[in-house]
Amino acid sequence: MTRLLLSTALCLATSVAALAGDLPQAQSDWFKAGQATIAERMTVAPITKPAKNVILFTADGNGVGTNYAIRLFSGQQAGGLGDDYVQPQETFPHVALVKTYSSNGQTPDSAPTAAAMNSGIKTKNGMINVLDTVNVGDCAAGATAGTKTFAEIVSEMGKSVGVLSTARITHATPAAVYARTVNRDWEDPSKMPEGCAQKDIAAQLIDQMKAGVIDVAMGGGRGHFLPKDVKDVEGKDGKRTDGRDLTEEAKALGAQVVFGQDDFTALSTGGNAPVLGLFESSHMKYETDRTGEPSLAEMTEAAIKTLSTNENGFYLNIEGGRVDHANHDGNLYRTVTDGKAFADAIAVAMKMTNPEETLIIVTADHEHAIAFNGYCGRGSNILGLCMEENEQGVTHTGKPNLADDGKPFTVAGYLNGVGSVLVKQADGSFSGARPEVTEDQATDKDYIQQALVPMASETHSGEDVAVYARGPWAHLFGGVIEQNVIFHVMNHAVKPE
Amino acid sequence: MHRRQFLALAPALILAPALPLRAEDPIRLRDLYNKDLSYSDLALARQGQRLAVQGFMAPPLKANSVFFVLTNRPMAVCPFCEPGMPWPDDILAVYARRIVEVEPFNLPILVEGRLELGDATDPELGFYSKVRLREATFRRA
Repeated sequence: MTRLLLSTALCLATSVAALAGDLPQAQSDWFKAGQATIAERMTVAPITKPAKNVILFTADGNGVGTNYAIRLFSGQQAGGLGDDYVQPQETFPHVALVKTYSSNGQTPDSAPTAAAMNSGIKTKNGMINVLDTVNVGDCAAGATAGTKTFAEIVSEMGKSVGVLSTARITHATPAAVYARTVNRDWEDPSKMPEGCAQKDIAAQLIDQMKAGVIDVAMGGGRGHFLPKDVKDVEGKDGKRTDGRDLTEEAKALGAQVVFGQDDFTALSTGGNAPVLGLFESSHMKYETDRTGEPSLAEMTEAAIKTLSTNENGFYLNIEGGRVDHANHDGNLYRTVTDGKAFADAIAVAMKMTNPEETLIIVTADHEHAIAFNGYCGRGSNILGLCMEENEQGVTHTGKPNLADDGKPFTVAGYLNGVGSVLVKQADGSFSGARPEVTEDQATDKDYIQQALVPMASETHSGEDVAVYARGPWAHLFGGVIEQNVIFHVMNHAVKPE
Repeated sequence: MHRRQFLALAPALILAPALPLRAEDPIRLRDLYNKDLSYSDLALARQGQRLAVQGFMAPPLKANSVFFVLTNRPMAVCPFCEPGMPWPDDILAVYARRIVEVEPFNLPILVEGRLELGDATDPELGFYSKVRLREATFRRA
């Protein structure tokens, strides 16, 4: 039956191709590229062996819209028009749209979304790997309502586990790999209620290293691992109120503990000792401001080298954590430059792994209130002004489109945030008009895109994100899925029997 | 003068009628620092001179003060007021000639003052800074 279906499909394809050849547009490059895509799609075959390794990439806040901006930026940086550029994950054969709402939020935050991917359930905003029967912040109820995480499941199968982020390693997305908490803000004990039945997130990371679950953890957040009366290597104060120095505790476990580019470069990979990299007191630097600390791509390479020495395989969770932060700031430049750094890390992982044994999943936890204007001619700088279409050619005319107020406008903007055109007046009211903006101003790295609703920090949105996948059981992604299904694909892929 | 130009200048005239800014090209706050937060060549070359810097006024630490912090991008909350909040590294401490009339945190302003480099802690506020503008005036950019 299978053979009959395949031969029928082949016949159909052949007859469609023959028919297509007769069309007047058949010699168009667009037409030929479309045909090539169909030919390539027809070669895609499911891989149904167990996944030895699973790599889950999440760019925080990189929904379909933000991803579009990063694609155009990357393509324009490469010298093209931008829109036809293909990011590494966009070559993956299997894609789905993902519904990101949490169990109590039409708009999610990064805690329940990360829990969905690491535990297979939706839960409340603010909580990580705790069932949604518990109220946010309820220490006692949370202590008995924790989930078993994907990291713990694969650890029992003998696999190694790594977690990387350019945000604090105790921030919500990476924390969901190793911690259970009724409040995502409890990154150290300083904000926790006295007598709380759970431990803070940083302490849980060290516990999971001790337990042999976490083998590699690298990111920012050094302050949460140091006592408040201790200064770190950059002179910044620790935050812990319990006097514990978790970096020393990690060293006592035999871990390699590193704080900057030099000792990161000197890491010996391939051993059995855990690795703890804490490269900033808080979040790591944005890619454009980065100095003295590794890129996400460099951390990815080091982690895969180390984890690959386990013949049973590994689970590696990698977060581009600051796409989200730059969106919150309304600063598209840092959004897209960190997005490009995220894509570079994906390219490294693709190069270092074999699709026959490694499932790579690329997704986002949620989208932002980013939006795009029209009608811009091709090649309009994604950071800059929306230029007029060129009816005599392809690339825009170089003349900005004007809005009804007579002023140009940028391609991208935000529905809310600090870039609001409504400004607080002396009497407390809000009013204003859109500022004039030039191409030079809009493409400056510190430019804040115009927004509508005045808010101290631009918000997430509940809009869908995409998931892209290659490798064993990647074909289980398709259609429009709930976010917690990502866990179930990973869980099935590692033990399909 | 076009009406739009006049409207743009009007707030500046009200805020600083006696202290017009010099007609030199303003620099960005980021131009004072290298990526590793060491002083830039421009900062070292202009030490002790008056210069104009564009940035945003962070919500002030204290009312009726001559002091405020200039940030590279808008900061909605005073990052120096809340314990545990991460401080931006690339900031500029501004000591104005007059009591500061607070500007919205998200409106770009232009500050002119005498550039001072070196570690210093404000004796009253305890605020530590590496770069300051003294005897400063400012207006909306």
